[in-house]
This record gives sequence, structure tokens and C-alpha cells, in this order.
Amino acid sequence: MVDAARQPLIEVKAYTEVEKVEGFVGNFKVTLREKAKYVRADRCNGCAACAKACPVEVPNYFEMNLAPRKAAYIPMSQSVPLVYNIDMDACIHCYKCVDACGALEAIDFSMEDKIIEEDIGAIVVATGFGHFDPTPMTEYGYGRFPNVITAMEMERLNNSAGATHGMVIRPSDNQRPQKLAIINCVGSRDKRYNPYCSNFCCMYAIKNALLLKQMNPNMDISVYYIDIRTPSKGYEEFYDRAREAGIKFIQGRPAEITEDPNSHQLFIKSEDITLGRVVEHEYDMVMLNQAAVPQPDQDHMSSVLNVAQSPGGWFMEYHPKLRPIDSPTDGIFFAGACQGPKDIPASVAQGSAAASRASRILHSDSWQIEPTVAVVWPDRCVSGKGQACGICEKTCPYGAIDYTKGISAEVITAKCHGCGGCVGECPHDAITQLHYTDAEVLAQIRTLLAVEPEKKILAFRCQWCSYGGADLAGTSHFEYSANERGLRVMCSARMDADLIYEAYRLGAGAILYSGCHPQDCHYITGQVAGAKRAARLEKMFARLGISPGRFRTEWISAAEGDKYARVINEMQATLDAIPEIELKAEIERLKPEMVKKLTKLNEVPGVEEAMIQVDFIVNEMKSKAVSL
Amino acid sequence: MNLPVNTNFAEQVKAIPGAEKLMMCFSCGTCTSKCMIQEKLEPNYNPRRLIRETVFNFEETAFTDETTWLCTACDLCYPACPQKIHISAVITAVKQLAFEQGRQNPNQTAKVVEATCVACGLCESVCPYQAIKLVEKKVPFRGMITVASVDQGKCMACGMCTAACRSDSIRLNQDFNDNEILGSLWGWLESEAA
Repeated sequence: MVDAARQPLIEVKAYTEVEKVEGFVGNFKVTLREKAKYVRADRCNGCAACAKACPVEVPNYFEMNLAPRKAAYIPMSQSVPLVYNIDMDACIHCYKCVDACGALEAIDFSMEDKIIEEDIGAIVVATGFGHFDPTPMTEYGYGRFPNVITAMEMERLNNSAGATHGMVIRPSDNQRPQKLAIINCVGSRDKRYNPYCSNFCCMYAIKNALLLKQMNPNMDISVYYIDIRTPSKGYEEFYDRAREAGIKFIQGRPAEITEDPNSHQLFIKSEDITLGRVVEHEYDMVMLNQAAVPQPDQDHMSSVLNVAQSPGGWFMEYHPKLRPIDSPTDGIFFAGACQGPKDIPASVAQGSAAASRASRILHSDSWQIEPTVAVVWPDRCVSGKGQACGICEKTCPYGAIDYTKGISAEVITAKCHGCGGCVGECPHDAITQLHYTDAEVLAQIRTLLAVEPEKKILAFRCQWCSYGGADLAGTSHFEYSANERGLRVMCSARMDADLIYEAYRLGAGAILYSGCHPQDCHYITGQVAGAKRAARLEKMFARLGISPGRFRTEWISAAEGDKYARVINEMQATLDAIPEIELKAEIERLKPEMVKKLTKLNEVPGVEEAMIQVDFIVNEMKSKAVSL
Repeated sequence: MNLPVNTNFAEQVKAIPGAEKLMMCFSCGTCTSKCMIQEKLEPNYNPRRLIRETVFNFEETAFTDETTWLCTACDLCYPACPQKIHISAVITAVKQLAFEQGRQNPNQTAKVVEATCVACGLCESVCPYQAIKLVEKKVPFRGMITVASVDQGKCMACGMCTAACRSDSIRLNQDFNDNEILGSLWGWLESEAA
């Protein structure tokens, strides 16, 4: 941190909050709130005279509230920049600090929050993680039993700059504990709180155990664990060292901690799984290795940055394997535990990677985007004719569409990721997607259903998940019906109702509407738009009397080749169960309905026409200045 | 040593409602250390081990395990389980399969004296395990009549029904009938008096 502050090309904005992020990759406009410190940074020399003079004491959050701090304070001795700060919630306005500061005149009670706007090229989000509060786990008695402490409290206790100058003491009587237990997986790997593994707690327990053992070799330390996870380089050897040092590892998750109310001694009852027997041990002190959880304001940050969150609340990366550092929004990157629980080596590696990903943007004049971007046909957009609409703007997961009533909607090309959600939703077919125009997709549908359409299963697959699932079914040699005809679009959001009507008009036997699972969607909320539409279509087809099973919605990930094969085979079985005469009669009966619905499509162009349209769109794009 | 295996056992247990999450167990032992029966009654009692036996299809071992027969379904373990497995439901499922194969509950259960039962339904209403139902049954010398009937799989031999019965028609089969209790009570009183 000190090095970063000294580097002339790095500006550290401490005590500053991000209020708003607008714009797009290379051209972000970021609004910052620089909070008032009531101490002028250009004058304060960090002498601490104000803190010495201040009569107000409040709990020090940085010390896990184990020690007090003054209302004039710095959070820790290595604070960067070394400028004192007056906590206005605690200040009693005695102005003793002003007198203590004297001729420096650094304290200024008239300071106010400053709003700053900055032009930013790329953003790296490194907001870290929060700590699970074990109070709701009443079985462990945190908050009730003074000698049950959390890992972070232990961290401050054994830190030489901490509240006790590195002396580990029992909170109940300030004695040095001789028997200490560490409990792992407190609030993690627990479906009642956080189902995930917090990643670093095993190593953290071993580290703390070894550290305490080094300080007091006579200390008896036991670690309760479900599994010890030491997957990285040198970790297993570290675990070996801990056992060599005499630290005991007990496999078994404690069910309960009880306390002797007089001596505040603690008793842990757990099954020792390797013994197959329930054991109870007495301890002076217990440390709970609590789960890592997202920051309390992670939801707020996610809406400010317009980046999605994975289940559990962490920021969601673009792709868990191939793009683990990028956010779904171009130009925003993640470093460290804000994206998921991570230990120090992994966070440092991700930080370096994020910096190099960001510098790629800062050092280039142009930015390549997917070629499948959306384009508005201004002559068809009803907004240009003065009608209120704005459906496309609401659907877009990236905020890439500018809609103002009275002006035809416009796509901010640099922000568009090409999911085609707006194209699928636009009721006037006024938006099209390059390389997936209605004409192009319709041409494919027509070709796929050219021969014996009633025997075909037309499968709409999204590029990222269900197409991958079908691919995997093939490469894994999972057999599925040869009557399946797959059609790829970028996202289930692009699966326009018109395309499905057209497929039924042509007499398709069955239609599969498939895409990613909601949490896997590569276009943030594209799947949500797709799923809503599918539910609407399902209802409508049921009303129209389409045999159940002829339209099916399934969310299939790229890893679910077996599911893809199973779904197709089930659909084939459903189709086989309908007698051919009845099926043909049903198709004939529905044709006029479908034709009626398709009149909404301004025109259903043929293949030749499709090519002309593509040329038109490409020319449109060329004539527009598309630059960053 | 190879334990006898019924390759379908885990699937059969899983198919019984409540036991669906059987395979989610990662053997943390919270249930065992939470269990009152383990603490107070039977040190060898171990729900974690029973789940493991079930997962690995050791049917015979599961059926003879004391865990199967001693669980009172108090559900102390259920809210403590980090995988949200309804452990008592798994145990009940194992028990159910054991009965389907004609096994008997090795522990004592309440028995109805059908010759004197008047089907008043008192026992049915007091049973905390809903183990007693009134059924229509052919009873020797009494013909087709309604009598109380005890579900062996559910009965925990608590004796509530025995205490409630006004015609002494439902009894615990071994040590805890009225005469035994009265006998020990008299014995105790006499020894106190002496």
C-alpha cells in the first residue's frame, strides 16, 4: 500500500466511495464521493497530537472492537495516506484537537463531502470479502460465552500491533489459554448459512495453530474439521509441519459448545469420526474459523457497476474457466475475494492478471466487440413515431439501448454484447441482430423443416450452454433421436416468438426451447427474458390446444450432454405417442392461427431477400461512425 | 471381510419420502454428537454410521444396527445437520424396509390385548408417535370388531397408552407391565418402612 502511494502514476483515493458508473469500456464516467475527513490532507503530518488530545473513546472496528480508538483517529498505524480523520458520529465538538494541532491548522470542521467526476478507461474491482457472524449459530455460543472468539478476533489478539500487543488472552479473565480449540467450517459448507467451501480456512487454521504453538510450545491445540483441504503448492507440507509440531486434528464437526458459568471453561462435544465415538474435551478458549461471505454492501456495488452476482452474492465472472477475471461488462475486472473466497496467492495472481487485462484497454485505441451486435431500423421503431414503448431498453442486460420517447431507440454499439434480447422482445421487429437477423434464422428454420417437418424436433439452442450441451452429447457418444434439428442463436432471449410460430406454421413436430440455467447466463439476465417468453408461449400453446410435450422448455448447461440426449429422446417418445393422423390434423388446424400471429412480422423475407437485408445492415453500420 | 450387500438398498431408501438427501452426507458427525440416545442410552448408537451403511448398500448391517431401532425421531439432529438431511426420516425409511422384509422390532413394543379391547380410542389419542390406529379385525370368540392396533415400526415403548388404557388392554410386553411396576413400588415402600 505504501509503495502504491509512492508510485507517481498511482493515485490513492482513500475514504472515497463510488457513487455512479456510466459509459462503457474505455469511456467510463465515474462519480466519486470523497468523504470529508475534517482534517486537511495537505497539512496533516500524522503526528497524532489530535488523537492524544481527543477525550472521546469508541470501539475500534479495525481491532474487531477489542480496543478503543479516539474520535480523531487513523484506522491502523500503517494507514495510507497517513492523514487523521475525525469521526463526526462520535465527536462532541470540544475542539481540543484544534488546539492540539496548533500552528499546522490541519483540522477544518467546515469540510464537506466532495463529489468528483473522473474519466476512467478500465475498472478493477477489488472490494474483498466480509466475515460471517457466528452469532446465529447458537450451538457454538459466540456472543454468549466470552471465551469463544472468531478467527478475526484471534488475528488481532496475536498481532504484535494489535490490542494486546500480541498477547493471546482469554477475554473472561485475561489469562493465557493453555488448551485451545479451532473449529473449521463455521457457517461454511453448511446449507443453513453458506453452502460453499470458504477455500482458505483450513490453511488459516493451520497457520494460526502453528503461530500460537511457536509462541507457547506448551499450548495444547486441537483443530476440529470435516475435511482438511490443502490443494496448493506447499500446503500439504505445511499441514505435515503442524502435525509434527503436535497439533491435534480431530475429524468431526462439533455439535455443541457448553460452558461452565463459573470458570468459563468450554466443553466441546463432537464425534471423533476416525474413532467412531463421541468425545468431549475441555478447552480454555475456542476460535471459530468463520466463513468468508460477500461484503455487506456487495449488492449495492453490483448495481452501481452493473455487474451480476453469482449464487451466494459474489461478483460473477464472465466465464468460470476461460475468463475468470473479466466481468460480463467489458472494461470491468475483478481481483481477489470479491469474486469468490480466495487465499493470498490466488488473490495476488488475480490482481496481477486484472491489472494486465486492464492495461490492454488503456494501451489500445480501439476495442474489439462481438460482431453480433443489435441494430435498430429507425423507420420501424414506434418510438420515433411518438409512441411510448421502451421494451428494448428494459430487456437489455447491459444498458446498451438509449430510449427516449419521440426518438427512435439507439443501440450503443460498444456496450452491446449481442445477446439479441431486444430483438426477441421488440413487438415491431424494429431491431435486428447482425448475423442472426430474423431473415437468416427463418431461412435456417425453413431449410431444417423442408422435408417431413412433422417428424422433426426443432431445437433452439443458446450458443453458450445448450449448444455446448448438444455438442458434449455428441462427443460423449450419448445417443439421441436423429430427428432432432438444432438451431443456434446467441441466447434464449433471442428466441423470438415469431420464429416459433413460423416453425409451427411450417408443421414442425416438436420444438425445444433451451438455454442456460439462470445463474449461468452469459448475458447477465438474458435467460430471464427468454424464460419469461417461454412461459408465456407455453401457456398460449396450451390454450391453442397443442399436444403437451410438443413445446418444451429446458435449461441445459454445456456440461449436461446426458440431459440434452435424455430430453431429446423423451420428446421423441412424446411425438411417437401421438398418432400420425392426429398430429397432421393438429398441425393443419393450427396453421391459420400461426399465419394470423405472423402477420405481426412486417414481412417474412425469403432467403434471397435475407442476403439483401444483411448487405443493407452492414452498409448501415459502415456509414455510422462506430468508434470508442 | 466383505459385508453382504444389496446393490439396490440405497436407492430403495432414497425413494422413500423424507430420505431423498441421503447421498448428501459428508460424514461430519454432527448428528451423532447431538444425539441424546447416544449420550444417555447406547454409546454405540451412531446415525452417521447408519447413513454410511445405507449409502454403501450394507442392508443386513443397517437392519441389525441398534441405530435403526432406537431412534425416537426427536429430530434434534435435523436442524443441526449442515447438509439439511432429515436423518430421522432416513432411519424411519430403513426401518420401513426392514418391516417390508418381515423383520421384527428387536425392542419391546406395546401389545393390544384384543380379547378385552373396547376400541375407545384413548390410546390412539395419547400416542405421541401416531403408532396406534383403530382397525376392524377378526378376533377369536368376538368376531369382526374394531380394536386398537400398534404399528411396530412407530412404537417407541414409552407406555403412554398403557397408562391411559382404562381396561388394561394395551401392555408393554416385558418388564414394564403394571404388575411389575406395582411390585417394585411395593418392594421399595416396604424396604423404606423397615
